[in-house]
Amino acid sequence: MIEFQQVSKSYHDKHALVSANFHLQRGDMAFLTGHSGAGKSTLLKLIMLMERPTSGKVIVDRQDLSQLSRTQVPAHRRKIGLVFQNHQLLLDYSVFDNVALPLKISGYNERDSSRRVRAALDKVGLLDKEKLSPSVLSSGEQQRIGIARAIVNKPKLILADEPTGNLDPALSAEVMRLFQQFNQVGVSVLIASHDLNLIQRLPHPVIQLNQGQLSGPFAMAGH
Amino acid sequence: MAATKHPPHNASRTKPESAGKRLLREHKEVAVRSWRRLWLSPLANLLTWLTLAIAITLPASLLLLLSQAQHLGQQLNQEHQMSVFLVPHATLEQGQLLSQEILARPDIANVTYISAAQALASFKTNSGLADILGSLTDNPLPATLLIAPENTAQTPQAMSQLTQQLRQLTLVDQVLVNMAWLDRLHAILAASQRVTYSLAFLLALGVLLVVGNTVRLQIESRKQEILVIKLVGGTDAYLRRPFLYAGFWAGLFAALLAWIIIQLGVSYLHEPLLQLAQSYQSPWQLQGLGWVGSLMLLATSCSLSLLGASLAVGRQLRLIEPQ
Ligand SMILES: Nc1ncnc2c1ncn2[C@@H]1O[C@H](COP(=O)(O)OP(=O)(O)OP(=O)(O)O)[C@@H](O)[C@H]1O
Ligand SMILES: [Mg+2]
Repeated sequence: MIEFQQVSKSYHDKHALVSANFHLQRGDMAFLTGHSGAGKSTLLKLIMLMERPTSGKVIVDRQDLSQLSRTQVPAHRRKIGLVFQNHQLLLDYSVFDNVALPLKISGYNERDSSRRVRAALDKVGLLDKEKLSPSVLSSGEQQRIGIARAIVNKPKLILADEPTGNLDPALSAEVMRLFQQFNQVGVSVLIASHDLNLIQRLPHPVIQLNQGQLSGPFAMAGH
Repeated sequence: MAATKHPPHNASRTKPESAGKRLLREHKEVAVRSWRRLWLSPLANLLTWLTLAIAITLPASLLLLLSQAQHLGQQLNQEHQMSVFLVPHATLEQGQLLSQEILARPDIANVTYISAAQALASFKTNSGLADILGSLTDNPLPATLLIAPENTAQTPQAMSQLTQQLRQLTLVDQVLVNMAWLDRLHAILAASQRVTYSLAFLLALGVLLVVGNTVRLQIESRKQEILVIKLVGGTDAYLRRPFLYAGFWAGLFAALLAWIIIQLGVSYLHEPLLQLAQSYQSPWQLQGLGWVGSLMLLATSCSLSLLGASLAVGRQLRLIEPQ
């Protein structure tokens, strides 16, 4: 599903990612971990085409991303559900409208759209909050709304950047269980996280990043 | 267990829309949503619309005046254009004979003979100098022929040729061509036209800038929304749409306001201009914007605003990229 070939990303003199090689198979779920500044967010941004690599090749869903022009970026992003650490919900939209956003931009009509939004909200257990503003929700609830928005479009791939950053251990475990559920129905999942305690208790492979260098079960030997 | 047949997955969905229908529905939604957004800050919007309306009103009303002044010029063209003054000793019979001779020419449309006595009488009543004139023993005014050439003979060359020929007649003392002030009118109109076009160009630029800046501020205030939409895969066309509609609405309201201002101005000026025209015996009167004028105003305003919005939106959206 995701393949990195000798991917490097530098910001001026700073090497955020150095010759990274790894391959996440379709339907797999994995964690991405490492110290602050190790390059986790950078790696996810390369997959989302929020950044372009300085060198090397990123392949997502058999598509070499370097081949995609600016105008093809939106269609690429619609294939991926993205969950942010700071949830990135729009406070002047209702919970329902936040979750409906990915459907609206894809041109779903009202009926199909509300059916899917309710299903997604139901999945994260927040169906009764659809009319509220996200600002009145707790951080755990906000995070789950963010997850509902990421899955509402039934993406093949979910990326999450520190999805449990603000949550207590019980909520964190619950959020991870949600991701596992999506993975069980065939969605590929890649989660960047600091939370080693939680990660180590879960049966998923861990990709280690250290100063932009990859190690762990997915890392392939650099050339 | 009884095997219940599951309906095919798509059965619960509505029929797939055609691309055209979907685009139409999306446009309708955006139009309605951007319309509702207008009334979230009505005062700020009203001020913008007024600014635009004034910028549009100025050149539009000047163009209106100009086009009608040209009408006036054309109407006056058809009036008598030459006054031929006869020598003082010309008799009534000689004058009338001459007037018939001139009328027989193919390039003359009409000739009016005004005898010296008639001229004096009308001068007395019109000038208010009856007392002074009454004390004169001799009539100082000559008999006059007012000559209207055929339309085809109204070119400057034909007119000067005709003037030459008339001057050579023995009975003719002087020929006055009333062309000079017409020429001046045309020159003034031509100059005003250029001034108006330059003004229209500058103010159109002003409309572009005002709309562009308004849209830029709107985009700035919705930056977060735009970032999230970009991240979940919204296309540029999708992002652009609400701002283009905002520009369109601004153009529409500016046109409406400008229309009201112009019609008010026309009714304010109508009376004094009517009197001015009547003092020249002209049936000319100032008209408001007709259907065509109103539609042109609307189309110009909307397309200018739309252009301003699209110039600003393209540039501004490219500046907002998720980091
Ligand atoms: N836009 C940028 N300009 C300059 N340097 C950057 C930029 N983005 C990231 N970096 C640098 O690249 C390195 C990797 O950053 P990144 O955000 O990927 O780290 P991270 O692993 O996500 O850290 P954290 O766990 O704190 O979120 C950091 O040293 C950071 O300072
Ligand atoms: Mg990070």
